[in-house]
Amino acid sequence: MSKYLSVFILTLKEYFAYRLSFLIWRLRVFIGFLAPFFLWLTVTKQVKNLTGYEEKTIISYFFFTHLLSYFILATRTVDIAEQIQSGEIINLLLKPVSFFRFYLFRDLADKILNFFLSFFEITIFFHIFSLPFPIFSLQFFWPFLFFLTVGFFLSFFLNLLFSFSGFWSTEVWAPRFVFYILILILSGIYFPLDLLPGKIFSLILLTPFPYLFFLPVKMISSPETLINKIDFKFLFFMGSFWLIILFFLSRFFWQKGLKSFSFWGR
Amino acid sequence: MFKKFKRNLKIFLLFSYHSLKTAGQSRQAMVFFTLGKVLRFLFLFGIIFLVFSKTKIVAGWSLRQVIILYLTFNLIDTFTQILYREVYRFRPLVLSGNLDLILVKPYHPFLKILVGGADFLDLILFFPYFFLLLFFIFQENISLFSFLWYLVLLINGLIIATAFHIGVLALGLLTAEVDNAIMIYRDLLNLGRFPIEIYQQTIAFIFTFIIPVGIMITFPVKALFNFLSFKNIILAFFLSFFFLLLSIKLWRLGLKKYQSAGG
Repeated sequence: MSKYLSVFILTLKEYFAYRLSFLIWRLRVFIGFLAPFFLWLTVTKQVKNLTGYEEKTIISYFFFTHLLSYFILATRTVDIAEQIQSGEIINLLLKPVSFFRFYLFRDLADKILNFFLSFFEITIFFHIFSLPFPIFSLQFFWPFLFFLTVGFFLSFFLNLLFSFSGFWSTEVWAPRFVFYILILILSGIYFPLDLLPGKIFSLILLTPFPYLFFLPVKMISSPETLINKIDFKFLFFMGSFWLIILFFLSRFFWQKGLKSFSFWGR
Repeated sequence: MFKKFKRNLKIFLLFSYHSLKTAGQSRQAMVFFTLGKVLRFLFLFGIIFLVFSKTKIVAGWSLRQVIILYLTFNLIDTFTQILYREVYRFRPLVLSGNLDLILVKPYHPFLKILVGGADFLDLILFFPYFFLLLFFIFQENISLFSFLWYLVLLINGLIIATAFHIGVLALGLLTAEVDNAIMIYRDLLNLGRFPIEIYQQTIAFIFTFIIPVGIMITFPVKALFNFLSFKNIILAFFLSFFFLLLSIKLWRLGLKKYQSAGG
């Protein structure tokens, strides 16, 4: 365990070595938050009851989306494809560490750092612009924790799968770009998904995207708008289903990739 | 003068041809990137309809006005990406020292590092955006005078975008620390997808006069619908001139400081 703790600490130290680049990345994330936040805030100021959302619930939704989206989505697995193609991955394969755990701890460091910085920047932003402190509910704390864990691992396995494509193709960025666009569309980063017409919302719930961070955000910010719309058992089932499927898929493609992988010259 | 222009045009076309050949090397990537961009465009278009399914007016803007604003944003964004894609590849040139090989060539370095990598993927999308925009504009009752102001302010917006790109090049010379300044420009520009009035007053002020995303995108559309005062039109021209001048000064300063450390 101590070796993975070292991986965790070293990943944190890497960020502190490239502070400016990391701060610029945070600035970019924060700029991205502004457009959807103010768009929906303006709408809720004009429309008093927006499918169950009011000004305070929309503020709370985007506050927690900002906090949790990059906790869930932050990843270091994007480096893997490049390492496969350069052959650098051999260095890791020869070490007495589990590849999955190694990257899990790298991801964890990335996520925790992003979470704290998100919290710091959004708190300052709320303070400067005198926005009311977001409401939150602990009534659904356990489902929140469950969906947060599901989102954490879903993101990890999905990202691994995209990186493993590097075993067979040099074009790893283009499919990942489409993946990011799908996250933008289907994960609730730009708007609360339950604002959509019921049938479209139900269809989206069949995909893995809402289980990334939409559900944990809903569980802590405004679970009451979701309770009457969806059967919770279905959400637990679908979340677990995608987690199991993606776990086995990523293991399968990792083993398949290792068999087809060859490199020389290092 | 004309001879020089003709020569520069020839060099530009040659670089663009090379760029087209490079893009053609990875057809799979072309398909994925185009698909992603189309999906993003349709999704954000859908967001506008979702918003207006809940209310008729957003911060004083109607559905059709927001659609024209969104398409204007896409037109400016896509046009600048077609023309200035090479800026995204500038930093490695500085770090490796390969910029020297461009600076010693007998043409203006901007021909290579600013407009030398025309992006043909974006050109595919430019035409649908352009025709959609014209379609929505001609649905409105717009006077020729307003339309002309719109075109002039659109060109003014492109001048500001040019200034931003030159500024990013200059920043690449002045500091090796910043590796994604161009992406910050893209993020800031993305704020202009929606009316600048949705943001709080302080933010709207910053994004109009200090980082003039509002002038680039919102002002032309406001002029189209006669929302823009003459005073603001003059201010828009003044600011674009100021930013262009500032970016060129920064570039010259950058060139003086450049030491070819990586070569």
